[in-house]
Amino acid sequence: MKIFPAAPAALMSAPVLAIALLGIAPLVVVVAWSFWAWDPSTYWIKPELSFAGYAAILEAGRWTVILSTMFKAALTAIICLLIAYPTAYAVQFLASRRLAMIMLALMTIPFFTSYLIRSFSWRLVLGRTGVINTFLQDIGLTSAPIDWLLFSDFAVIVGLVASYLPFATFPLILSMQRVDPVLISAARDLGAGFWTVLRTVLLPLTRSGIFAGFLFVFVMAVGSSTEVQMLGGAGASIVSVMISDVMRVANFPLAFAISTVVLVVIFGLVLIGDRRLGLARLFEDRSQ
Amino acid sequence: MRVVDERLPRLIVWTITIIGFVAIYAPPLYLLGVSFNPSLQPGLPSPSELTLQWYGALASERALLNALWHSLLIATGTAIAATVLSLMAALAYVELRDRRSTWFLFVLLPMFVPGVIQGLALSVIMTRVGIKASALTVMAGHLMWAMPFAFIVILTSFAAVKNSYLMSAADLGASRWRQFRDITLPLIRPGLVSAFIFSFLLSLNEFSRAFYLAGRQNTLPVVLFGKMNSGASPTIYAMSGAIFLVSVVCVAAIAIRSLMRRPQ
Repeated sequence: MKIFPAAPAALMSAPVLAIALLGIAPLVVVVAWSFWAWDPSTYWIKPELSFAGYAAILEAGRWTVILSTMFKAALTAIICLLIAYPTAYAVQFLASRRLAMIMLALMTIPFFTSYLIRSFSWRLVLGRTGVINTFLQDIGLTSAPIDWLLFSDFAVIVGLVASYLPFATFPLILSMQRVDPVLISAARDLGAGFWTVLRTVLLPLTRSGIFAGFLFVFVMAVGSSTEVQMLGGAGASIVSVMISDVMRVANFPLAFAISTVVLVVIFGLVLIGDRRLGLARLFEDRSQ
Repeated sequence: MRVVDERLPRLIVWTITIIGFVAIYAPPLYLLGVSFNPSLQPGLPSPSELTLQWYGALASERALLNALWHSLLIATGTAIAATVLSLMAALAYVELRDRRSTWFLFVLLPMFVPGVIQGLALSVIMTRVGIKASALTVMAGHLMWAMPFAFIVILTSFAAVKNSYLMSAADLGASRWRQFRDITLPLIRPGLVSAFIFSFLLSLNEFSRAFYLAGRQNTLPVVLFGKMNSGASPTIYAMSGAIFLVSVVCVAAIAIRSLMRRPQ
């Protein structure tokens, strides 16, 4: 459809320029600089091939932070899928049109609210004098506040799930919208119960949504920082926080090397995901 | 359409769904409730002691107000740039045929870059090139965060533009430019408004990029972050609660309006 009196190339020029200059170029430079050597005389780096930054990742247990970040992100993504799948199912198959609209609106809002404020608010819930500890003591389940609720890995995972849940819900809803209801009715007419329909019809047909949901949450969680900064225990770290810490002591090669590793993992996953299911397709029938 | 008549699965589905919504909304709403409590100890106020005193106290918090003002300025600039650029990107997407999914991925890419890495990379480059950190550098970082969302929103709004409308206009002698101005633009206006407000909120609430890119004057989230970690006070609850509430109301208004429009 011809919709605007200008060639696509002309329309693309400004967005391309912005994304290339502000988004991609800085990342490319950081990746290139991660192979440069530290120059103590200028407190900066010099164009000499060096793998010192990458070697430093292997020191001081830094690689364990990278691994534990991946682990936390994967765990977050799985928990989000377990909550988002029933939510998407309820929106698509159980709720009335009106309720479905309200639920969609409620799932849209979190994208645009502050992750910082939302993480921070968990402190009031999970803290020693927080809602949960007060409640548990009031009903007599515990006599003293439970300490591991806040400033712990548990709190971090709770914060991450609450932050990035909608990133799993939307791809699942989009993929469920594509399931032909006739298939489900047919399965039910043939005597299949809820669990059989779920296992043999719905899950296989929504595989692309499950994969996309996992991908989105995983990628967001790998890059997250505020949840750990607000809810993590003493010494708790995640890749983004480690990069900030390394930057504070101006260890540029190391900060660039860690950033490169993270970027490779994230873009590797996004490209694999795009190849397998075509991210654009998720939105296509809505845009056209 | 209702496909489940078994009680237990339905109960399980609704229970988990509600757990998800509670996890998202209960803590910030609790924080909002706490901000109306006159006591210095966090807790929900009883209805008789509800107070706006902490919101009143915000008026004398110069650091917070300066940061808020700075953030509003940055959010406005970001929203204008993101809306215009995303509109161009979305128009290009509609016109592109074979390569459109590549284009889609390209525009979306910055969304996947972790804020800390994007902020760090931009700030290091700008320092090297000799660009001073300012509101403009923060806007540059925020543009990368807001544009993908604005792009998707505007793209979705193109569903309202039917080819037949444009063809009828062409038959009646309207030039391409006239078709765009008189048909396409009014049809996608709700999308543009949503994209503007969403970009504004994304920028207003963004923390990790601004942390690296802000100059002498920090943005509101950066200032809030510092204060949250140095012993939170009720005025911090009030500022956080107010920002959360404003964001929720804006998005809810847009979401409800656009969902009402959508034909089923």
